[in-house]
Amino acid sequence: MNGQYASLLIALPLISAFFVPLIKGAGKKAVKYYLIAVTAVQTGIAAWVFQQVYTTGQPIIVMAGAWRPPVGINLYIGHFAALFVLIVAVVSFLMAVFSLRAVKVEPIDKYAMLFLLLMLGATGMIATGDLFNLFVFMEITAISAYALTAYNKTGEAAEASMKYIVLGGIGSSFFLIGIALIYGSLGTLNMAQIAQLAGGMDATVAQVGLALIVFGLAVEAELFPLNAWAPDAYQAAPHPITAMFSAFVVKAGLYAMARLLYLMQAVESWHSVLKLLIIMATLTVFVAEFAALRQRNVKRMIAYSSIAQIGLIALAFALGTQSGVDAGVFHMVNHAIVKALLFLAVGHVAVTLGGAEMERFEGLGKKMPLTAFAITVGAVAAVGIPLFNIFWSKLRILLAAIGAGYAWAAAIVLIASVVEAVYYFRLIHTMWFAGEGERISEGLAVSLMLLFLAALVIVIGVYPDYAWNIAQKAGNDIFNVAQYIKNVPLMGVGA
Amino acid sequence: MISVYYFGAISLILIGLYAVLVKKNLLKMLIGLSIMETGVNLLLVSVGYVAGRSAPILSEGIGPNQAVDPIPQALVLTAIVIGVATTAMALSVAMILHEKYGTLNVEEIRRLRG
Repeated sequence: MNGQYASLLIALPLISAFFVPLIKGAGKKAVKYYLIAVTAVQTGIAAWVFQQVYTTGQPIIVMAGAWRPPVGINLYIGHFAALFVLIVAVVSFLMAVFSLRAVKVEPIDKYAMLFLLLMLGATGMIATGDLFNLFVFMEITAISAYALTAYNKTGEAAEASMKYIVLGGIGSSFFLIGIALIYGSLGTLNMAQIAQLAGGMDATVAQVGLALIVFGLAVEAELFPLNAWAPDAYQAAPHPITAMFSAFVVKAGLYAMARLLYLMQAVESWHSVLKLLIIMATLTVFVAEFAALRQRNVKRMIAYSSIAQIGLIALAFALGTQSGVDAGVFHMVNHAIVKALLFLAVGHVAVTLGGAEMERFEGLGKKMPLTAFAITVGAVAAVGIPLFNIFWSKLRILLAAIGAGYAWAAAIVLIASVVEAVYYFRLIHTMWFAGEGERISEGLAVSLMLLFLAALVIVIGVYPDYAWNIAQKAGNDIFNVAQYIKNVPLMGVGA
Repeated sequence: MISVYYFGAISLILIGLYAVLVKKNLLKMLIGLSIMETGVNLLLVSVGYVAGRSAPILSEGIGPNQAVDPIPQALVLTAIVIGVATTAMALSVAMILHEKYGTLNVEEIRRLRG
């Protein structure tokens, strides 16, 4: 089949979003099933793309309107993009199924539309090969995320959304200034051409431009000090959306950051930008873990833990070595699975028992044993116990950090991990050893999804080699910029 | 070469940033955000500006050599549209906030600060 069909990944959610109002005529339930159908088809396409890219080893490059870059805009679906587009699609599909149960607030058609646009934005951010296109997709993601945060129409939701909008607005302005600086000095927006010309760029302009871009993307990527919106938004957003935020919206921002950083690695002042990012990332891990310790609301606690893990990934990307990038990608995959599992399970408890405060988790092991088991697996994995998937990626990040000469960063991460263990084991203790309760029905669809994700956590934990292999290929896709330039068929380069 | 437009654009960005960070009234913060976006757009346009050339629309007497760089102008159009969408979104959230709390002062709305 022709690789150009990969553009359906962008086209399908966009077109489907426009059809939602028509489907609404067939009833409220129909909208939810429509959402499931669309995300299922998207998963199919993503799986095909993934299989295509990993068997041929060649990236799929889609050229819009058959114009060759840099005149036309291209999509670049290499090993990394193929892997993450698949994760985006699978998580969206699971969350669409979960929406059947979890989303009761009207208007459901708006919800479905924004859900699809959020998926579209994240897919686009990962797949695009053009700097300004990246900005546009980032804004699509951000605006649908603002709207979805406010979706529950409570005061808290509106506050969280407003906070997100103000920070996001500042962030996107910074990002745009960064683009202006890079365009002003290189005269191109195509990522491959930027990488090619980066060596000749003025060191100061490049440093300021890159730092502004890192700051702009740090809002989406939840890096300290621009992550104040995240815990509130995570708590206030509908449960499936929270899982989507953590599982892939943040990852798309992080990936964009890593991609742009490594594209410009020929720039002289590159290492000072990396140092900035390392400091931001370590602070993120440290601050978020201690904030998580104080939380009484489990959803908020896991939100803080998610931010800490994101900091860890950012640290891995900022090391500037091949092993760091590989470990970061591996952690991204593992984190997406674990956080999808945790937010799904906690959201499930919140829907069934009417809230996510710590007290409601007392006796959960007796009330909803399967859900409690899933949360336990997720929590143990997040702490980084051996034989669960995050252990391997955390270990590799620490080794990479020490290898790159940042032993102090590794030490801080280890201290923070101890804190993480404290609050996760407190949660596990509350669930299994405190309180009493009657057995409650858990729902077949959600139980199956929980079992699937928990199984994935354990399988990767016991046999990490296959996943590590994939992560290595994806990491190489980001790190090996020379290969990236060679793959994109540029015309009239340097003119 | 540093043109005078850069200073205008950057001072607009700083004025906007000041308003967003310091003002207590939500509407003033959003106005600040808009001013900031305008400054960024101006910066983008001035990146492609060449003194003495005309708009990049081919017409009689204006060939490709007499026009300014069209790409930043196209980008600014997109950025303006996105800015409008963000502002509209923010204003509707501000409406909900006013409905729920009866005020637009960020210090009175419990958790908006810090």
